[in-house]
Amino acid sequence: MTEAILSIDGLKKQFGGVVATDNVTLDVAAGDLQCIIGPNGAGKSTFFALLCGLHELDGGGIVFKGKDITRMLPSRRVREGLGLTFQTNRVFGSLSVRQNLEIPLASIRGERGILAEDRYRMALERFDLDRQDETQAANIPHHKRQWLEIAMVLAGGPDLLLLDEPTAGMAPEETGNTAAVLRDLNRTGLTILVVEHDMAFVRKIARRVTVLHQGRVFADGTIDEVTARQDVRDIYLGRR
Amino acid sequence: MANPFSLLNGPEDLGRGPVFWGGAAIVVALFLAVPLYLSDFAAYNVSYYLLNIPMALGLCLLWGYCGVLSFGQVAYFGIAGYAYGVIAGNFVGHSWGPMLGSLGGLVMAAIVAAVFGYFVFFARVQIWILPILTLVLTLLLETFLGQTAGYQWRVGVVQLGGYNGMTGIPAFQIGDFVFSGYSFFYLALGLALVCYLACRMLVNSRHGKVMLAIREDALRTEMLGYDIRVRQWLVFVLAALLAALSGLLYVQWGNYITPSQVGLLSAALPVIWVAVGGREKLLAVVIGTYALNWLNYQLSSSGNQYALVIIGALLVIVMVFFPRGLVVSLADLAGRRSAPSEASTARVRG
Repeated sequence: MTEAILSIDGLKKQFGGVVATDNVTLDVAAGDLQCIIGPNGAGKSTFFALLCGLHELDGGGIVFKGKDITRMLPSRRVREGLGLTFQTNRVFGSLSVRQNLEIPLASIRGERGILAEDRYRMALERFDLDRQDETQAANIPHHKRQWLEIAMVLAGGPDLLLLDEPTAGMAPEETGNTAAVLRDLNRTGLTILVVEHDMAFVRKIARRVTVLHQGRVFADGTIDEVTARQDVRDIYLGRR
Repeated sequence: MANPFSLLNGPEDLGRGPVFWGGAAIVVALFLAVPLYLSDFAAYNVSYYLLNIPMALGLCLLWGYCGVLSFGQVAYFGIAGYAYGVIAGNFVGHSWGPMLGSLGGLVMAAIVAAVFGYFVFFARVQIWILPILTLVLTLLLETFLGQTAGYQWRVGVVQLGGYNGMTGIPAFQIGDFVFSGYSFFYLALGLALVCYLACRMLVNSRHGKVMLAIREDALRTEMLGYDIRVRQWLVFVLAALLAALSGLLYVQWGNYITPSQVGLLSAALPVIWVAVGGREKLLAVVIGTYALNWLNYQLSSSGNQYALVIIGALLVIVMVFFPRGLVVSLADLAGRRSAPSEASTARVRG
């Protein structure tokens, strides 16, 4: 078994009376490309927000690259090597593509070495992004804004890429390119964790799939193992 | 580290290239030549239009570039002014008194801003509530200073003076050289220029780009690895220092200060200067601040009772028709006009 880059132990979060994340325990192996799936409201985005420190935890702990990051500031976690793209695209709309790509911490990428630099260059090339492009980011096509956000995160040289529905609103061809680039980034050794409910996309990329339901880990395994289970199909169809 | 000229000539402020810098040099030369066409007294009045520029630049950085609107920049203006009055007033006859007073004013303003900013930014107070908090700070200061009329409100030999204000504040001097008339004008001009160029370098630097990112989307910026609390706090303290510099120049110019300088009306003025010029660009703010201070002075000194009503009406008109500010909108228009002509030239060449 490959060493875990991320170990999550008993993660808990409650908003008022609603339990968003209930005792989630999960290991992500270094170099894995894992998908978190589940119906709407399963707690997938909250799970990512907790990993990044955007909400305060009610219980549990997170160890990243052997270091306890449970109480770390979000910006510190990014400097440690976490990179997140949000569910709703959050590029800097009124700034140019050039400015968007200049803002991330290139210095950290530099410290992470040649591999981080290669991944960033690969993303720019395969996503057809120009570092000198003065077009306002709000005026580029939707799928390119999604790609731009991934490239911005890669510009900081992360060791673990967290993508929250990276293909939302994309046409099939664009989704296909996204899948291909993510697979190739993963081949360079980059660990990627994707929240997604487009099962066709999950099938294209995932080596391992975790199903979240009502804030808990409901199932875990390969895509075929998970989709073969009747109870997983039931929750997707709203029968449970 | 980028070279200083590329930072000065960077894209985050109005104007680039040889034509712009040539024009700017002519304007600066016209200011430098003021003694040739203005009297000593008139030059002293021009100093008044210049001395508010540092405070406006600070607000421009904070509001226009970093997205944090402060309604209380005059608090730091007042703190520095009063601190200078107290310190320099207690060392009259010592040539180093005004220098110590200036330093004391800057330090006092920076300490208040650092403590206030620490609680605001590190407690992650919602950004929309900041205009109210900063306004409350300056109104508290006004209320406090307003009740200092009694004899007991004396620091050393200096009386705070309540609503009558503090009078007889010493002029600025370095060694035995006292700044007044033309020399004070050059001091105000020099400081305005240095502050502008330094701010221009800042906005074109990496820190400047992060400021823009925070303005656009603070959470995204934080998730790119930046501790936005520290960044906002530093800009807040810098803006306070720039306001303090204006406060120092003000008391050194007029030799008095009253609590109304930190009151509601005074608090609104920097916001108006910055908004009318165009908060997104430093140069627009410099031009707007100079023009509105000139207008206000002309209207008030000619005995017009409605000076502030006219300034207020101007704000409303500009905000309705040019929401990005007058100077920024005009610069945009000029840019759009020149862009098609460049394109057509390119077609002809092609």
